[in-house]
Amino acid sequence: MQKLVIDGSQGEGGGQILRSSLTLAAITQTPLELVNIRARRSKPGLLRQHLTAVRAAAAVCGATVEGAELGSRALSFQPGPVRGGYHAVAVGSAGSTTLVCQTVLPILVAARQAAELEFSGGTHNPLAPPYDFLEHVYFPLLRRMGVELRSELLTAGFHPAGGGRFRVSLGACGELRPLELLEAEVAPPVRAWTLSSRVPVHVAERELGVVREGLGLTQEQTERIDVDSPGPGNALCVRIGAELPELVTAFGEKGRRAEEVAGDAVRRARAFLEARVPVGEHLADQLIVMMALAGGAFRTGPLSSHTRTNVDVVRAWLGDDVVEVREEPTRALLRFTPRRGRAPRVEAEAASTGEA
Amino acid sequence: MHRRLVVLGFYGSVLDGGASDKRWDKWRPTVALCQHEDLVVHRLELLHTRTALKGVQQLVRDIALVSPETQVRPHCVNLADAWDFEEVFAALHEFARGYRFVPERERYLIHITTGSHVMQICWFLLTESRHFPGQLLQTSPPKRKDGDVAGDYRIIDLDLSKYDRLARRFDEERAEGISFLKSGIATRNAAFNELIDRVELVALRSREPVLLTGPPGAGKSHLARQIYELKKARGLVDGPFVGVNCATLRGDGAMSALFGHVRGAFTGAAKDRKGLLRSADRGLLFLDEIGELGLEEQAMLLGCLETKRFLPVGTDTEVTSDFQLIAGTNRDLSAAVRAGRFREDLLARINLWTFALPALRDRPEDIEPNLTYELERASRRLGRQVTFNAEARELFLAFATSPGASWPGNFRDFGAAVLRMATLSAGGRIDEDTVAAEVRRLRASWSDAPDGSAQPDDGDEPDDGDAPDGSARPDDGDELLQADVPFDVGELDLFDRVQLREVIRICRSSRSLSEAGRTLFAVSRTKKTSVNDADRLKKYLARFGLSWAELTGAR
Repeated sequence: MQKLVIDGSQGEGGGQILRSSLTLAAITQTPLELVNIRARRSKPGLLRQHLTAVRAAAAVCGATVEGAELGSRALSFQPGPVRGGYHAVAVGSAGSTTLVCQTVLPILVAARQAAELEFSGGTHNPLAPPYDFLEHVYFPLLRRMGVELRSELLTAGFHPAGGGRFRVSLGACGELRPLELLEAEVAPPVRAWTLSSRVPVHVAERELGVVREGLGLTQEQTERIDVDSPGPGNALCVRIGAELPELVTAFGEKGRRAEEVAGDAVRRARAFLEARVPVGEHLADQLIVMMALAGGAFRTGPLSSHTRTNVDVVRAWLGDDVVEVREEPTRALLRFTPRRGRAPRVEAEAASTGEA
Repeated sequence: MHRRLVVLGFYGSVLDGGASDKRWDKWRPTVALCQHEDLVVHRLELLHTRTALKGVQQLVRDIALVSPETQVRPHCVNLADAWDFEEVFAALHEFARGYRFVPERERYLIHITTGSHVMQICWFLLTESRHFPGQLLQTSPPKRKDGDVAGDYRIIDLDLSKYDRLARRFDEERAEGISFLKSGIATRNAAFNELIDRVELVALRSREPVLLTGPPGAGKSHLARQIYELKKARGLVDGPFVGVNCATLRGDGAMSALFGHVRGAFTGAAKDRKGLLRSADRGLLFLDEIGELGLEEQAMLLGCLETKRFLPVGTDTEVTSDFQLIAGTNRDLSAAVRAGRFREDLLARINLWTFALPALRDRPEDIEPNLTYELERASRRLGRQVTFNAEARELFLAFATSPGASWPGNFRDFGAAVLRMATLSAGGRIDEDTVAAEVRRLRASWSDAPDGSAQPDDGDEPDDGDAPDGSARPDDGDELLQADVPFDVGELDLFDRVQLREVIRICRSSRSLSEAGRTLFAVSRTKKTSVNDADRLKKYLARFGLSWAELTGAR
């Protein structure tokens, strides 16, 4: 099979290029040759969190991998048949379980495999979407595409101790349904909650107080959730919308006042409400690969360079016409035309051809 | 295959400790080193004392959270006092000896940030001595407050050659040392330069005896002196330089000159005498012409080299002296051993580092840099600046590097020649006449010298009777030539003799130097725009110690 060479130095986000490419290599069953990985960074080459993603993707599609070493500037990833069933992925606290989840999940969906996935490590990390984002934003959209999926947070894992755990059960799904996410909800309902472990109760109470005042919420619309995690941590989540929600998260940290943390969340929630787009910047990034498989369209704010890079990667794998980008004065419309082809090989299939 | 990373370190009860939730707010070096995005520790060998057991268990649990890739292996080490150097060193040394290092599959880093300063010192010493075949790892807390918890780490490789700037510094230091050994003379002879490179290494790394061989005047005692000065400059000796020529130590006085005596040891021993060996204590003893030493003195010297102790004449009390020996010889000591004149065991002892200094005639490319050096030396001795004029310098160099210049006395001859010319120079300027006179002098003295010919020890060569190269021997024409030149024509090749004879004939039939030049260089002058034929001829004659005035005036 002809391999695809991807330049890991293009645009922004070397990590996103890597993760999207791993997913698409497995789905299209095309060998990936990633070169110039993070070439212009102060610590060039593969970092630890990237290696975790490579290992997880390799486990799900039985890939043969070369160059999966710290600091490696080139990676070759030769996908094999996709394996459903149970997979456990352990990530150090600096990495993010949610990003790894978003790397492997589309592979299993495209291969129509039932799976039980268990992720352990950090679940609430300032540098990645928290587990709440998956549960409230990403997974509901997957369900609307026809993906049968249940998930459960067993333990929250905060930065820096980590030690969190969540489980995702995936049913074998059929053809994906296209999704049209073109208009923002009118007068979306807002809810807010905190997730805290081993920090004084007053921290969460003060945060929720600021949010109630700033976004005009009632006591019933806010909730303080206390969890038991191996390490201390505090996350404040604001959910905007019901049908098509967005989630804004802020993290408490040592030396930062609760009012400051909550003020930051209020500011970003207001900005999203005013932008009046159905899909926020982070969701746009996460949706591109799935929409390229399911089809449909979504409208988002002005494209970030991060999102543009992701569009380029998807086009490299699935063809230029898989996504059409129409830029409007303050917004952008992305329309997807999925390439209908054979689903990736799965393990059972490979076994039967082996016998023939 | 990528090697797995193994870190060895001590549990730091202060920095690594903490059981409350607050421990996650502080920087714990051993946890932090497992949190780097560009460093994955596959195995951590965590040394700790018995009292730290609880803290270690907590640390193992915490590292499992932040770094599922890391396997932690605690090792309990019995230490009563973490600040006791002997105890810590012994404990680490034992650990190193009992550990199975597999460097082809694993890479080792020694984490020195935690533990007492004495532990740091011991880690360093044992890593430097390669008991721990790894590099040092130093970690430091985060500088910024942006959620970074891992901080920084640095790997310190003790292989200094891997650092460009340090390597350059060492190269410069070496170049300085080498230049010092050569007295700043930019010598060009490859074999000689290589020899000095090796001398520099040995001088700075070894205190064992050194043997310098080479013909007289090749620079043995000068080099011994420079070796001493170099060692002294680098703090490797603090005693004096003591040098003596063993040829001057023959007879009864030799023993007491070398080993000293006490008052009344023999008739005439009116006072105690320290002796040269004891004077050289903590310094360097140079025994030139060691082959001239008597057998009894050789035996005493050998004993002293082996035990650093000896008995001065007339006492039963041993004295000690710790010196480095440099021996010089121009004799074949192996032959002396065969002839029973030199002790085989002493030769074996001093023959560890042997350097054979080449004769000056084997280093023609070094004559020019040495000329500059000798001229400066002569100027200092005479107390006035002396220079050559350009032609004179060229004349002298042409002679000095010619095959006829055998320099049997090597630098002694060479230095003397320069000193004579400098002394005779008018107004500090050495001219062509001074050079020509010196060349004649040298040729005369070399042909007079009994063994100072260009082909020493001819008798050693196998003689093949009726020589087929009989043409190389003087013939009738050479007898005529001999009358004209101030040296033995037998020293010249037939090639030179034939040429010189004809040149002299042309000179004698010409009215002036210029006319002779025109005749001799008639062909080449038509091909050049301007040429000084007279000058060319003058230089040719000078090579043989001849001058126009002399040749034609004698007519």
